[in-house]
Amino acid sequence: MTIDSLVILICDDSILARRQLKNHLNSLGCNTIIEAKEGNAAVELYKKEHPDIVFLDIVMPIKDGIQATMEIIDFDKDAYIVMASSVGTQENLREVLSLGAKDFIQKPLKTQQVDEIISKFLKGGL
Amino acid sequence: MYTQFFGNYLLNKGYVTSEQLIEAIKDQKNTRLRLGVLAIHDGYMNANQVEDVHIAQTHDNKRFGDLAIEKGYLTKEQLDCLLNSQQPDYLLLSQALVDKGYMTNAKFEEAMKEYQSEYGLTEDDFADEQHDKIIQMIQHFYDIKDIKDSSLYAQYITILFNNIIRFIGDDFTPHQATKITVYPTDQCVTQKITGEFSPQTALDMDADSLIAFASRYAGEEFTENDEYVQASIEDFINLHNGLYVVNLSNESSLELTLEPPLPRNSDKLDGVKEYFQLPITFPFGTINFLIEKTD
Repeated sequence: MTIDSLVILICDDSILARRQLKNHLNSLGCNTIIEAKEGNAAVELYKKEHPDIVFLDIVMPIKDGIQATMEIIDFDKDAYIVMASSVGTQENLREVLSLGAKDFIQKPLKTQQVDEIISKFLKGGL
Repeated sequence: MYTQFFGNYLLNKGYVTSEQLIEAIKDQKNTRLRLGVLAIHDGYMNANQVEDVHIAQTHDNKRFGDLAIEKGYLTKEQLDCLLNSQQPDYLLLSQALVDKGYMTNAKFEEAMKEYQSEYGLTEDDFADEQHDKIIQMIQHFYDIKDIKDSSLYAQYITILFNNIIRFIGDDFTPHQATKITVYPTDQCVTQKITGEFSPQTALDMDADSLIAFASRYAGEEFTENDEYVQASIEDFINLHNGLYVVNLSNESSLELTLEPPLPRNSDKLDGVKEYFQLPITFPFGTINFLIEKTD
């Protein structure tokens, strides 16, 4: 799998956070990026588009990232979910990793962390 | 030194008036830090020596540093050290006050020494070993020593200033807190913390200040109050509260959670409980942080 063929879903209630992450992913060569504003929309988009990687915020209106992780993993136990949240408490970390999320990035996002996630996925996700 | 509080200290002790302080805060960006103020701050020279060099400069067309060395006030090494040291932005406020004639070098030296000895803070940052002292200073400054959850508030405010410095900038002056029950909002976002410590929090400012605040936060130049600007203030409060909650989780094993931030523009915050209103003035305007009292 190559970087330009990746489909990436970004779910965050902040339009600014989505744009910043999307711009960075575009600069890496990821061209297919789909966006959701909250958990329900993310679960629906996941089922429809089967993205390779999901960046998921935790604190969101309607449906939070933890509930969305549960539902996405329920649909696809191999889903590659990376939490990207400002609330990296021990409890949240424990919970999302035990649900099957692959990684947790504490906000503010550092571009280097995003780069590492993508290259890790490309190496292991062939 | 917990430097952002210095401006307020000057005000409280009567060294400057609030009009002078506000004018100096606004003028910081046009101010150039001079060697005299820097040498006083770093303890290499006293105000009399600085004045003496200034007087010498009026009839001897030499640079400040050269004259100070000639007069034996500075060594060559000290001068190099001053010239090469990172010049802290917060000294610009003092420089602006001196430049405008609101405060003499001697008053600056006196106030700075008093301030340092009163709070025993000598570092420029929030290093770990300073943590307890900073908490004490916050409790003292905001007069919250005797309230319920005092240390949680002090920690909250300490992390707030840490995050403001990290994400917005260090060129601000905090003002004393006031307690209010009703707050009419302008451009405002609220976020509720939930768990064993569960205050409502809010950040409010006018539209022009918000555009400047958002530009700094996002690292891009916004010119109108659009959805990205609105998202910036929500992002900031969510990031700040998130980092607070993470800090408590790591250091006190207290697990709190957050509700999503809510926009509350041109609205009214009121409830059964009082809020602490913490105004913080930047050169671009004043932002108001509000945190609910839990008792």
